[in-house]
Amino acid sequence: MPKEFDRDSISNTLIVAIGLSLVCSVIVSGAAIALKPIQQSNEELFRKQIILEVAGLMEPGADVRTLFESIEERVVDLESGNYAEDVDTAEMVAIPDELDLAGIGERARYIPVYHVMKNGELDQLILPVYGKGLWSTLYGYLSVAPDGNATRGLQFYAHGETPGLGDQMDKEDWRAQWDSKELYGDGDQPQVRVIKGLVPDGIDGGEHMIDGMSGATLTGNGITGLLQYWTGAHGFGPYLNNFRENS
Amino acid sequence: MSESRKVLIDPLVDNNPITLQMLGICSALAVTTSLLPALLMCLALTSVAALAGAAISALRHRIPNNIRIIVHMTIIASLVILVDQLLKAFAFETSKQLSVFVGLIITNCIVLGRAEAFAMKNGVALSFIDGLGNGLGYSVILIAVASLRELFGAGTLLGYPILETVANGGWYEPNGLMLLPPSAFFIIGLLIWGIRTWRKQQVEKPEYQIHAVHRTEVF
Amino acid sequence: MKPLRAFLDKVEPLFTPGGRFEKLYALFEAVDTFFYSPPDLARGSPHIRDALDLKRVMILVVIAGIPVALMGMWNTGYQANMAMQSLGVAGIEGWRGTLLPMLGAGYDPQNIYDCLLHGAVYFIPIYVVTMVVGLAWEVLFAGVRNHEVNEGFFVTGWLFALIVPATIPLWQVAVGITFGVIIGKEVFGGTGKNFLNVALVARAFLYFAYPAQISGDAVWTPVDGFTGATALGVSALEGMQGIADMGLTWTQAFIGQMQGSIGETSAAACLIGGAFLVYTGIASWRIIVAVFAGLIIPTVLFGSAESSNPMLSMPWHWHVVVGGFAFGAVFMATDPVSAAQTNAGKWVFGLLIGFLTWLIRVINPAFPEGIMLAILFANVFAPVIDHFVVRANVKRRLKRNA
Repeated sequence: MPKEFDRDSISNTLIVAIGLSLVCSVIVSGAAIALKPIQQSNEELFRKQIILEVAGLMEPGADVRTLFESIEERVVDLESGNYAEDVDTAEMVAIPDELDLAGIGERARYIPVYHVMKNGELDQLILPVYGKGLWSTLYGYLSVAPDGNATRGLQFYAHGETPGLGDQMDKEDWRAQWDSKELYGDGDQPQVRVIKGLVPDGIDGGEHMIDGMSGATLTGNGITGLLQYWTGAHGFGPYLNNFRENS
Repeated sequence: MSESRKVLIDPLVDNNPITLQMLGICSALAVTTSLLPALLMCLALTSVAALAGAAISALRHRIPNNIRIIVHMTIIASLVILVDQLLKAFAFETSKQLSVFVGLIITNCIVLGRAEAFAMKNGVALSFIDGLGNGLGYSVILIAVASLRELFGAGTLLGYPILETVANGGWYEPNGLMLLPPSAFFIIGLLIWGIRTWRKQQVEKPEYQIHAVHRTEVF
Repeated sequence: MKPLRAFLDKVEPLFTPGGRFEKLYALFEAVDTFFYSPPDLARGSPHIRDALDLKRVMILVVIAGIPVALMGMWNTGYQANMAMQSLGVAGIEGWRGTLLPMLGAGYDPQNIYDCLLHGAVYFIPIYVVTMVVGLAWEVLFAGVRNHEVNEGFFVTGWLFALIVPATIPLWQVAVGITFGVIIGKEVFGGTGKNFLNVALVARAFLYFAYPAQISGDAVWTPVDGFTGATALGVSALEGMQGIADMGLTWTQAFIGQMQGSIGETSAAACLIGGAFLVYTGIASWRIIVAVFAGLIIPTVLFGSAESSNPMLSMPWHWHVVVGGFAFGAVFMATDPVSAAQTNAGKWVFGLLIGFLTWLIRVINPAFPEGIMLAILFANVFAPVIDHFVVRANVKRRLKRNA
């Protein structure tokens, strides 16, 4: 009969500890590596689907990749407003406090935008926008017409605003207002904003105004702030300016 | 009732991890806003609890006493990461809603508690069944809470409209409280009330008794 | 009154054990003791002889609320009639529009009778629904648990009906009071064991469940298409300038001529009710004074600080007349069940409520008014406060006798 096995001995403790670590690390890293390609393609599909939804091209049951073929991704250098290629999209730029209407602190220097093509011509520009609402950061895409001024749509895909109040921004009829508002009008300053209450008929500057969401003034202010930042001089202002000069 | 059947059935109502042992409440509040993420969470937790039970039971004669909790944690953590990776690959959008809560299964008292209390003392098959049973007990409550919250909070179940909401031209005014985490507290509390009315043996003995004479007793 | 007594005595056997309506004994008992003093005698010691039992306490609170209800109804009608005048609406539709002319009421904002009646047609349905639904739950629980119907509900229902907006849908009133009675009171064992103020639990439920019908600009005045923000709603965004722009004077705010829930607008009526409650010994003057102090002290201390926060500069005499502060301090914070019980504890309890109200009003970006949440929060802490007061007392006496 062999000596009774002592599981509390130092040698057994070491064997169990090392053995377990090895087995577990192999399993975990193996799974992570094997599944990575699928996860990345999921990430990409998710992003593409949102962009298609903002562009109004998404149809139920359609293949996202096929639909996305009409969309080109371009990277913009926000400072000059020109396209850039082969750049480091991870480079961050701090936003000066007095300009930081979106409350985000910093942003990437080079940001991808999307061109929606229709019959070979540019139909919409889709710009990523994000900023603070009342409780949370709102992430969304703004769709702009090729004149660099008229909006075509705004949709947020992630936020944590109050159910029933702030989340009215996800409602069809509220989103529908973002079709053909004007970002700038004649000047250079971003004008578009969410007001308090309903936009009165025939008011001066009504083309820049969006109905407030009842009981969610601060979420509305957050949306105004983030749009004014992203369409302003420190955001996509110079880029959109190129389009406005051309049209 | 055979032992394995008892181990499987007991945690569903009579020894439910949530409503009797009050474990795993944190994730029950966080992932029950709608039914689909709750279902995935149940699947994740049940598989981790069952597999961890089996793995720890298989090693129970070798695991040194002084590092046993660390060994449990390592096994559970590896399984959780595995499940998390699988969800990200095959149920991407829902896994986004679950966010950190799959990762937090590692610290879920139900899994660790069963490993320590049951798997260290019983055979592999029985420990697997025990993990399964406790996972299912957790799932029963989670699914009940999530169904109620999604139905009354959004008027839908698994995204399909059941009660047509006012915003969509129907009659139902969604209850916004149901979308906030405190509503899960109320619902779990009411479920416990219901279960203890049904299964009187679960009622705890009062710590002290206020003696009150009611008028109806006087007569 | 004789025939009534005779009738009650005749039907009593139906409700006592063995009778046909045994389960409804609580209902019989409630009606009986509503008219007559209870017949049973105290059997154990100690004995306290006092004409003031729970039922009389509750009736005094209801009486104290009468000025508030009258002012509230008048103001609701006044705001509605003003809104109709400004929108050029001549009459209203539905049963209210049929009933008002039958009672000889018009829509003249300067006519007190017109305003009072126009408010009453909104307040009374809310009150009736509250009482019917709430009492149904009370009787159900009393029947199952074999205790009498507690008069506490008369006060709960009365106060709850006063703290909702005039336009609230009646089904929400029913759902709200159901939640309040069950979750706020019955799950903890009924009247006297609820650690939260029941009326506020009911309102808080509605506040989070159906925010669109109990907050915002369109719910305070029952006229379609009219929007008017509350003084706090305006000042949260634009400060005192905003209040000046909407033409609201301090005197109007004090009397209660402004937007708000039915009974919360008139600080003057709340003070009259408060004086009556303190005089009769029902409400604790310590709590009322402490709640006011808790709000006024930080307002004065931080009022002159430089900040972009528009609420910071609101002076204290405005703070106490806008929103539900006066109503909450007088009627809600002093609830003898859910408030602190010790004298020192009452001071701490009240200061906590006042300070939290200030904090929520001024610092919190989401909620313009904070008195409801402040009172509920302090309710939760009341037993802890009392515990420390008692411990401190024990310690002090031990030291003295050591």
